[in-house]
Amino acid sequence: MDEVINRNSTIARELKAGSGAEVGMQVLNDSQSSGTVGDIYVDDPRMTCRNVNVYYGDKQAIFDIDLDIAKHQVISMIGPSGCGKSTFLRCLNRMNDTIDICKVTGQIKMEGQDIYDGGLDVVPLRASVGMVFQKPNPFPKSIYDNIGYGPRIHGLNDDKDHLDEIVETSLKKAGLWEEVKDRLDQPGTGLSGGQQQRLCIARAIAVSPEVILMDEPCSALDPIATAKIEELIDELRENYTIAIVTHSMQQAARVSQRTAYFHLGKLIEVGETDQIFTAPRHRLTEDYITGRFG
Amino acid sequence: MHTSTLIIVLLGLMSLAYYMGRKRSLNLVSGRVRDLHSLPSYYGLLTALWCGIPAILLLVVWISFEGSVVTGLVVDSLPQETQNLPPERLNLVLNDIRNLATGDIVSTTVDENMQQAADHYARLQGISHMAMFVAALSLAILAGFIAHRSISRQQRARNRVEKAVNFFLLSSSTLAIFTTIGIVLSVLFESLRFFQQIPVTDFIFGLEWSPQTAIRADQVGSSGVFGAIPLFAGTFLITLIAMVVAVPIGLLSAIYMAEYAGRHFRSLAKPVLEVLAGIPTVVYGFFAALTVAPFFRDLGASLGLGVSSESALAAGVVMGIMIIPFVSSLSDDVINAVPQAMRDGSYGLGATRSETIRQVIIPAALPGIVGGVLLAVSRAIGETMIVVMAAGLSANLTANPLEAVTTVTVQIVTLLVGDQEFDSAKTLAAFALALVLFVITLALNMIALHIVRKYREQYE
Amino acid sequence: MTRVEKSLARRYRQERNFKRLGLGAILLGLLFVSFLFISIFANGYTAFQQTFIKLDVFYDPEMIAPVGETDPDVLSAGNYGGLVKATMRELFPSVTSRRDKKKLYGLISTGARFQIRERVMQDPSVIGQRESIWVPADDDVDMLIKGHIDLNLPESDRRIKDDQLSWIQGMQEEGRVEKRFNTTFFTAGDSREPELSGIKGAAVGSFFTLLICLAISFPVGVAAAVYLEEVAPKNRWTDLIEVNINNLAAVPSIVFGLLGLAVFINFFGLPRSVPLVGGLVLALMTLPTIIIASRAALKSVPPSIREAALGVGASPMQTITHHVLPLALPGMLTGTIIGMAQALGETAPLLMIGMVAFIVDIPGGAMDPSAVLPVQIYLWADSPERAFVERTSAAIMVLLAFLISMNLLAVWLRKKFERRW
Repeated sequence: MDEVINRNSTIARELKAGSGAEVGMQVLNDSQSSGTVGDIYVDDPRMTCRNVNVYYGDKQAIFDIDLDIAKHQVISMIGPSGCGKSTFLRCLNRMNDTIDICKVTGQIKMEGQDIYDGGLDVVPLRASVGMVFQKPNPFPKSIYDNIGYGPRIHGLNDDKDHLDEIVETSLKKAGLWEEVKDRLDQPGTGLSGGQQQRLCIARAIAVSPEVILMDEPCSALDPIATAKIEELIDELRENYTIAIVTHSMQQAARVSQRTAYFHLGKLIEVGETDQIFTAPRHRLTEDYITGRFG
Repeated sequence: MHTSTLIIVLLGLMSLAYYMGRKRSLNLVSGRVRDLHSLPSYYGLLTALWCGIPAILLLVVWISFEGSVVTGLVVDSLPQETQNLPPERLNLVLNDIRNLATGDIVSTTVDENMQQAADHYARLQGISHMAMFVAALSLAILAGFIAHRSISRQQRARNRVEKAVNFFLLSSSTLAIFTTIGIVLSVLFESLRFFQQIPVTDFIFGLEWSPQTAIRADQVGSSGVFGAIPLFAGTFLITLIAMVVAVPIGLLSAIYMAEYAGRHFRSLAKPVLEVLAGIPTVVYGFFAALTVAPFFRDLGASLGLGVSSESALAAGVVMGIMIIPFVSSLSDDVINAVPQAMRDGSYGLGATRSETIRQVIIPAALPGIVGGVLLAVSRAIGETMIVVMAAGLSANLTANPLEAVTTVTVQIVTLLVGDQEFDSAKTLAAFALALVLFVITLALNMIALHIVRKYREQYE
Repeated sequence: MTRVEKSLARRYRQERNFKRLGLGAILLGLLFVSFLFISIFANGYTAFQQTFIKLDVFYDPEMIAPVGETDPDVLSAGNYGGLVKATMRELFPSVTSRRDKKKLYGLISTGARFQIRERVMQDPSVIGQRESIWVPADDDVDMLIKGHIDLNLPESDRRIKDDQLSWIQGMQEEGRVEKRFNTTFFTAGDSREPELSGIKGAAVGSFFTLLICLAISFPVGVAAAVYLEEVAPKNRWTDLIEVNINNLAAVPSIVFGLLGLAVFINFFGLPRSVPLVGGLVLALMTLPTIIIASRAALKSVPPSIREAALGVGASPMQTITHHVLPLALPGMLTGTIIGMAQALGETAPLLMIGMVAFIVDIPGGAMDPSAVLPVQIYLWADSPERAFVERTSAAIMVLLAFLISMNLLAVWLRKKFERRW
């Protein structure tokens, strides 16, 4: 613990002294010494994050995170409120760009391509790294248009029939087809909370992303709707890589294969979900899991 | 052909370019949209923009320089003695040539030279117009063609179109700045010319205002005196009367609305009061001149007082009525911003409503109310139509509300309405008055907005 | 406790008095509104009627043209004024002296001759025949019939003299005098003769002016609001723009008029008195209103919608055009309508750019000289004729009708599209 803090204060000092990119490079070289306990690396990563720091204005929210995200796996990110897990998640498809004062340094690569590269267009990135938000946020349009919007702006459909097909498969994958197939022209906002969230998942699937980020997708839902979404996440794992932020440890245990524990903007421990919940290595993780704080 | 025809032709070309660009992008990938960087419509839009914008820019530049270039050429062709005329005379001659060329009425007799010059002018203008047409259309076609040719799968059409839109958004938002600069420059520039003729001190501290200047040099009497104190005093008097009417009524109704009124009464009375705010000022002016002023005059006569039929009282009272909804809606906002907890604290001690209002809410809301009143004062100072129609024209330096006074805005209007020589001190004086008006209202607004913002922050 | 109770009566009395004071203030405000409306209405409603006089016109071939003539040039050159006079003389054969004849002719509007000419030009076959037609009475007669002329005044102070009175009474007994709906008021332009004047010219001028104003201020205002609210980074430059807009919103309207005079007319050389310049000036004036309202509308669109769109990979511009703008549009339209209503009622800046000229023709486009409704009201309010007072009030009623319907439309829009998130 002490070591971690010391390390980070050194980085903070260094950051003040030099430019972010320089420091990023420098730290990259000794990434072995990152403060995180556990297996940061995986054999076949979809995304790799190295030395990720996030600042809101002068305030640093994320400290030097290294993490790999494996293919066809669900990784869950847990930790007390304000620990930076959502902020980190939003780095993965550059949703943080929408906040003026937010600055991200370090390297996040997807299939070898740095997503923070100056020349990279965020639009195709966000098409391949989809996102589902905390509160269901369907567009105030019909169910059909909600799903069809993404394929349309990305030019994924060749004609109307093709779009119909995409809408149908996406809704089927999200397990919503049977419930809504007769009222596709009705507004998406008229559905129940759980249905809306599945609609949002279907909307994300419709643009055939490789990664789906979920930011506490069940926090606004009742237990039955939650169970359905969790089931869905498990099914989606076959085709997609999923990173989910959750405040519920049970949920993390139920749906994910790997778990990362965040604390005060730092990645404390990462490992197989079973291991994290049964035999945490870091004291902070243990305290959190056993409910000593949170 | 007319310029508007050209613009319609250009719009037609742009639609064609859109269609062609879209088609080409689709052809490139034989219909598989996902192989393109952007949606086909963006390629169409990009082509259309390239086709339209350079041509339109050319048009704007051409039209703004056409006049002076053609005039210059015509002047060169005029006989030497005409060219040597002083600028004002030359301008008159040129005006006549222009009128002759367009077939309007000419002020002097037409001689051979004039006719020739006019023909020359018309011919040059025709050539220029023709050239402009050809240039604009060929530029549109050329640029559109190049854009069309350069369409490729990887071209980032969407990003470029968005950049153009972004530029439009940015320039729209700067229009507000240009408006302010325009106001300042136009008013300042003419005012400086005025102060070259009349010393600033005479203007600001002079006690007599009589802007009638002699039209001919040999005229007697009216030499024009530009001392603005009577105007400021008159403006102040009328504003004061307006505030005496508007502030108590506006404030008390806001308090009643916010603290006492039931929902039904509120939902009925509020819109009706807001109707007052929507009535054009010319209507208030007519109301003041036709109904209120005679009423005060007759009332005064029956009391044995001599009330002028253009009394400051009538104009001020009607202006006050106009400002009531302004004061009341601003105060309403401010009073509603006072946290409920403050009221609860006072009620909890057993204070009555009126005690809570007078001793807790009003002191808490005071800065906001003051800000609102300052905004109202700035409105009253700048108000024009009511005083133009109901206040006097002659500048009396008096504090008696029963007499006629004149205001800054009234003088601006009377100095500028009607045909005037633009350079006379009389017309320029209007701009000097406008400068004073602008500076004072601007200062009041800045102070008021600052106070209101500080107040809001306090309770947020 | 007793000390508290002692003062209670006094405190409750204060409470009641304070409440009454507040209620009184509101009632006073309401009283002003009703007084204003009643005064305008009472003065104006009579203008919607106009007195007409029935004349038995003999279309005298000697005065107009030979029977069978159809050439419009010849027909229009006929002596129609003489025809009207002859008809009047025929009606009152006893009037002989020149002065009395003049007074007699004065009962009929100068518009009568044009009306007869119209009639003949339309149907030349009436030449040589006799026909009863209704022509407008002179404004003084109109005022008399409507009871606006005080007959107790001495004759010299009256616009209608005693013998004119007796002629009118004579015609009334024969059923030759009638009040009818005043179509002229809605179909004519301005005129020196009250009975021939109408608001159509001003209304059309207002229409063109507002059209120009809308065409500029709406797109530019919305674009500026979108830029400031959605695109621009928060920095000093945007702060400056914001302060600027707030201040422009409170600059006296007459100053915008001076801007128009100095920039559009003196610098760019645009003509005076045309709706184009009026529209430009009003556009600059309404811009702050529209920007402020549009920004409020954009603010009310929840951020989750933007996140949703960005999350599926829409570009920021697509997010704005596909999602944010459609949702904010009703609010923007509401603000725009209110801004247009302000512009419609605005007078002072238009005086500065010369829109106070006396213009008879109905403008055909944005480059034709014209007046606008509020300026027409101002011009008529300045005219000495008693008949213009009622026309001014009537024009105000028309203007207020427009304004109130615009405001109602705005309220309806807001109600209809109001969305709670």
